[in-house]
Amino acid sequence: MPTLRIALMTIRLVMRSKIALFFTFFFPLVFLFVYAVLFARGNPEVVAYMFGPVVTLNIMGSGFWGLGMQSVMQRERGSLRRYRLAPIGPGTILASNLLANYLLELPTISLLLFSSLVFFHMPMRMGLSTLLILVTVGTFAFAGFGLTISSVANTMQEAQIYNNLVWITLLFLSGVTIPLPMLPGWIQRLAMFFPSTYLVSVFQASMLQTEPILSHWREMLVLIASGAFGLLFAMRLFRWEKEERISTRARLWAAGFVLPFLIMGTWMNTRANPTAGWGRSYGFLEQPSNSPLNPAEEPISIENFDGLQASSDLLSRWKITTNSGATGQSMAETSLLTPGADGTPHAMRLQGRLAPTLRNTGYVSAQYQVRVPPDPRELHGIEFQVRGKPCIDQVSFHPAGATVSSTPAISFVPGDSWQEVKLPISWLAGTSKNGPANGLWVLEILVNQPGDFTLDVDEIRYF
Amino acid sequence: MTLLEENAILVSVRDLRKHYADIEALRGISFDILKGEVFGLLGPNGAGKTTTIEIIEGLRQADSGSVSVCSLDPASQSAALKERIGAQLQSTVLHDKMRVDEALNLFASFYRHSVSVPLLLEHFGLVEKRHAFFEHLSGGQKQRLALALALVNDPELVLLDEPTVGLDPQLRRDIYALVEHFREEGRTVLLTTHYIEEAERLCDRVAIMDRGRLVALGTPRELIAISGQRTRIEVRLAKPAAIDHLKLVEGVIDCHEAENVYVLHVQSAATAISPLIRYLESEGNIMVDLHIAQPSLEDVFLEMTGRRLED
Repeated sequence: MPTLRIALMTIRLVMRSKIALFFTFFFPLVFLFVYAVLFARGNPEVVAYMFGPVVTLNIMGSGFWGLGMQSVMQRERGSLRRYRLAPIGPGTILASNLLANYLLELPTISLLLFSSLVFFHMPMRMGLSTLLILVTVGTFAFAGFGLTISSVANTMQEAQIYNNLVWITLLFLSGVTIPLPMLPGWIQRLAMFFPSTYLVSVFQASMLQTEPILSHWREMLVLIASGAFGLLFAMRLFRWEKEERISTRARLWAAGFVLPFLIMGTWMNTRANPTAGWGRSYGFLEQPSNSPLNPAEEPISIENFDGLQASSDLLSRWKITTNSGATGQSMAETSLLTPGADGTPHAMRLQGRLAPTLRNTGYVSAQYQVRVPPDPRELHGIEFQVRGKPCIDQVSFHPAGATVSSTPAISFVPGDSWQEVKLPISWLAGTSKNGPANGLWVLEILVNQPGDFTLDVDEIRYF
Repeated sequence: MTLLEENAILVSVRDLRKHYADIEALRGISFDILKGEVFGLLGPNGAGKTTTIEIIEGLRQADSGSVSVCSLDPASQSAALKERIGAQLQSTVLHDKMRVDEALNLFASFYRHSVSVPLLLEHFGLVEKRHAFFEHLSGGQKQRLALALALVNDPELVLLDEPTVGLDPQLRRDIYALVEHFREEGRTVLLTTHYIEEAERLCDRVAIMDRGRLVALGTPRELIAISGQRTRIEVRLAKPAAIDHLKLVEGVIDCHEAENVYVLHVQSAATAISPLIRYLESEGNIMVDLHIAQPSLEDVFLEMTGRRLED
C-alpha cells in the first residue's frame, strides 16, 4: 500500500512540474514527428518501421533520465531521509519509483500510438497485448539501467556522466536512431551486446513481419534479466543519504549488471544470425506493401489539370480567396503551366503576394471541391505534387460549407523540384465526429506567410 | 535501580561507541530516559548529539554498546520501533511541489496507527497553509510541518534534533510551547540542543556531551548544585591584577582569568562588590566592565570541559 501511495504521489508531483510534463509527454511526440516527417516523409510503412525505435528511445529516456536521475536527486536533496524515519524500507521506495515510471510510460506510449495511427496512418500489425508486453518488459529493463547507474553514482554530476556514456552508445549503435542494416558489419556485431538492439528488433519483427513475441523469448529473457539485475543492485547498494559513499568494491560488484548482455551478445554473434531478421524488417521499406490495409488499386485521380485548355478554365474549378487584414492588400492569380509534374501536359500555378498584417492573419486560399467516393474505406488520404518558392504552406480537407475546419491541417515547404505531399485522412475509412465521409468536401491549400509566393500544384489524387 | 524505575525506563543507552574514519564520534556514553520526561542532550557542534539520536532512531549502527528503545533494539527491530517513535530531523526536506496536507496524509498512511491530519494541522497552526507547496513555506512553517510529521503516528517517544536551530526568537518560543505541550500530553521527548536556554527551560534532565563523551547528567538544578557553582562576578580591569591577591579579597571564594576577564566566584555579590572596589582603588586599578551572573548550565559545561559551549 505505501508503494502505491508513494507512486501516485510521484505521478501527481510530475504533473505539477512543467519541465517534467514536457519531457514526459511532449518531448516523445516531438521525436515521433521528427522521425515520421523528416525520415519517413509521412510514408506509413516507414513510420511503422520507426515506431519501435521511437518507443524504445522513449523507454530508454524514462529509465535513464527519469527514474535514474530522480533516484539520485532524491538522495542529493535529502528528501529520502524523511522517508527513512517511517516504517518503510528501500524496497518500498524502489518499487514505488518503478511503478510511477511505468504508469507514466503508458499514457506516453498511448499518445505515440494514437499520433502514429491518426496523423501518419501507420499500419498496426502488432496486437495491443504484444505492444503492452514489449513496453512493460522494455520499461523494466531500462529501469534496471537507471537504478544501477543511480546506485553507483555518488552525485548528480557523476550520474549524468555515466548516463551520457551509456545513453549515447545505445542511441546510435543499436538501431534506435540509425537502422542497423545501414551500419558497418562490425558495428552490427557490437550492437548484439546492447539491450536496446533487442527491444528495437523485436518491435520491428512484430510490427513488420508479424512475428510472434515468443519467437524472441531469448531477447525478452535478457531484457527481464536486465531489470531484475538492476533492481537487485539497487536494493543492495541503496543509500538513503548523500553522505553515504559507495565503495570501489561495490562498484565493481555492480559491474556484474552487464553479464546478461555479454552472454546474449556472445550467443548472438556465434550461434544466431539476427542480422537476417534486421534485414527482413528493413527490406519491408523497399518492397511493395502487402498490408491488407493498403488498397491494391491504383490511386484515384482527383485533378491533374490535363483536360484544361486555358488558364481561365481554372477559375471554373478553383476558388481563390484572400483575407489580407486591415493594413495591406494581397493578390493572387492562377495560371496553367506546361508541362506539369513528371512531364504531364499541365499543372496549376498559384502566384501572388501576401501583404503583411499586424498579427500575420492574412492568407491566400485555393479551394477545390471534391466528391468523396461512395466507398472510401480503403483510402488513406489525398496526395499531390508541389513545387515553388520555399515558404510554409498548409493543406486541409474539410466538409463543404464548413466555416471553421475541425479536421487537422498539415504544413509543407515546396522546393525547386516537384515533391509529393501526403495528407493522411484516417476518417475516410469510417465515420467520425466530422460526420460521414461522403458528399462534397473541400481540399484547401493555404498560403499564410507574408511576401511573394509561387506554388505549382499537380496530380491531386486519393491514395 | 528499583523495579519501579526499571519499568519507567523508555530508552536505555549503554557504553555506546561510534567512529567515522579517524574521528571518534561517541566514546562510550550511557544514560537512561524515563517515560514522560523531556530529556536533553546538550553540547556544542561535533559533541556527538546527532549521532546518538540517530542511533536511537535506528538510522545509524553503533560500533559497540547497546541501545534499547521502547524495549526494542533499533538496529534489528527498526520497522517495529518506527511505529512507536516520531522523529524530527535537523533539516526536513520534502519535494518542493508537495502540499502540506498531502505530506501529512502520505506519511500517516505508512503507519498502522495515525492521528487525524486535520487535528495535526490545527494543532501545529498549519490549517491556512494546508494547501501550500513545501517550497512556499517559511522556515518556521517548515519546522512546524516537520514536528507535525513526527507526531503523525501518535508516538510514545518524540526525538527532536536541534528543533529550533536557525529560527528567530519568536518561532523558537513557539516551538518551546509545542514541546511543553508534548510534556503535558505525557509523551517522552529526547531533544538535542546547543542552546542553554532551551535545555534549562524545556528539559527535566540534561546530559551534557563534549567530544563524544557524556560529561554530566542530571536535572539542570542538580547539575548546577553538584558542580558547586556560585555567583560569578566577571570584571574587566584597566590594568592586570594578581590572581592570588584577588582571591584574598573579602567574600571571594575563588578567582581565575579567562580571555582577559577576571572571574570571581563569590557567596554573595552584594557582600563582595564593595571590598573588591576598595582593593582595586588601593592598587590604582579600575573596573572597565562588570557583569554579575547567576550559575547556569553554561558554567557547568565550562567547568566540566574548560571551554564555553559556543566554542
